[in-house]
Amino acid sequence: MALDSCGMTLDGIDCVVMGTAPDAFDMIHMKGENLIDGAGAWRKPYMRGFVGGGTGVFVVDQGWYHVASGLFDTCLVVAEEKMSSCLPHPQGAFITIWDQFTESPLGPSLLWMFAMEMTRYMHVHGITEREIAMVSVKNKKNAMDHPAAQLPAEITVEDVLNSEVMAWPVKRLDVSPSSDGAVALVLAAEPAAKRITDKPVWIEGVGWCLDTFYIGHRDLYYPRYVEYAARQAYEMAGINEPSKEIDIAEPYDPFDYKELHNAEGLLLCGKGEAPKLLADGVTQRTGRQPWCPSGGALGVGNAIAATGTMKVAELFWQLRGEAGKRQVPGKPRRGVAQAWGDELQVGTVIVVGI
Amino acid sequence: MSAEKVTQLSQTKRMFGELSFGPQDVKLYGQYTYGIAGERFFREIKDNGRIMGTRCQKCQLVYLPPRIYCERCFAELKEWVEVEGKGRVHSYTAVHVDLDGNRLNEPILMAIVEFPGIYGGFVHKLGEIEPRDVRIGLKVEVVLKREEEREGSILDIEYFKPGMFD
Repeated sequence: MALDSCGMTLDGIDCVVMGTAPDAFDMIHMKGENLIDGAGAWRKPYMRGFVGGGTGVFVVDQGWYHVASGLFDTCLVVAEEKMSSCLPHPQGAFITIWDQFTESPLGPSLLWMFAMEMTRYMHVHGITEREIAMVSVKNKKNAMDHPAAQLPAEITVEDVLNSEVMAWPVKRLDVSPSSDGAVALVLAAEPAAKRITDKPVWIEGVGWCLDTFYIGHRDLYYPRYVEYAARQAYEMAGINEPSKEIDIAEPYDPFDYKELHNAEGLLLCGKGEAPKLLADGVTQRTGRQPWCPSGGALGVGNAIAATGTMKVAELFWQLRGEAGKRQVPGKPRRGVAQAWGDELQVGTVIVVGI
Repeated sequence: MSAEKVTQLSQTKRMFGELSFGPQDVKLYGQYTYGIAGERFFREIKDNGRIMGTRCQKCQLVYLPPRIYCERCFAELKEWVEVEGKGRVHSYTAVHVDLDGNRLNEPILMAIVEFPGIYGGFVHKLGEIEPRDVRIGLKVEVVLKREEEREGSILDIEYFKPGMFD
């Protein structure tokens, strides 16, 4: 679809960057190699990028430097995840990601590790489960207009609050689903881009940053590494006030609190202020700065490595005015997308504009 | 491009596998050493009932769990210091489902425990407390297994319980 949309074939692609997350989902080690044919990388320069849930934006950043370095004119970025093959539940694939001596023996799941981050975030700022639940309501509703959405729904805050507790304060409707999905983007150097399209969307800034591996080594109330990644991207893009200069944001939302947490790391508001923007309607699709107009991971689905790339694709459509029913009004000109993951330690950021 | 929608996996052809199993039911297993810092850290818990960290003089950090180098400046860390097993709850959760998504009969309380002036801490269980009584900042102290039951594992720490100390 990506190639078709710009009238290209694989002949015009100089290199391929592939994003796919834990090997354990597919029970194939080195699955980057296994996926090479579907990625269109046969006999081409190819690399796989992998920073857990942060992969989806990371691979676009990687694709950017393949082209920006001058080494290649075009790069096909492909990201995929297939979680349905991992039984009885893909959560089990994450048992081996923790420190094997100090964490794994306790049988950690991502669910309860994230729950502790949510607890900390709520505690430090005095934020309630009710305030956070509105993210899930907003994003699942936004997803009603996304043709590839897995869990679009019109739900209420009460539905979220009354859903099954999985690891307090996380309830079932606070969490994105397990998903299968794939996304592809074509990146091109300026002269090539101008040949391919008269409506290019430019990558204006990229950034990524990893914090320490150990959960206990940082205060979980704030993702400082997301801030560092964002500052790198904003500096490149010449952005001084992201709260004003960004028209649309797609922060990573595998859990509802994560949209708020990550938006704060992206400096879209002050620490602890994201729930107020949400409550005031600022982040609705028709608000001053929509967050996750795509429907996000909560609504479209969370095919881990592909989710961040889905967010970049959303910005592409929005900035070209091609988002259909999801179109944000007011001719948006600049957006930021972000993904997050690994051991709650990586932020990956991209700024795009027209 | 179109694909027929399949709603039942049993309608499809599938290959079954198990992580850590290869062909012919050969079970893959491993051995992984604790390393220099891990060796001493777990021996101190097992043999002496002590929790030890390592200090970086330059960065003014005490690492817990200990390491033999500083992740910030790469200095070699040779100074070992005892960390008193009295800390506070940095954050916590009550876990209601297992890794497969099945409901647990009783929720399990998990926490991150931090210690004053220490860089790091433990992810571990809370015990001798009801979920409604847990809060961030709660004083907790380490409960070790009896010496003869300790194996040199993080599970030599049974859990952290509410503590009475200043």
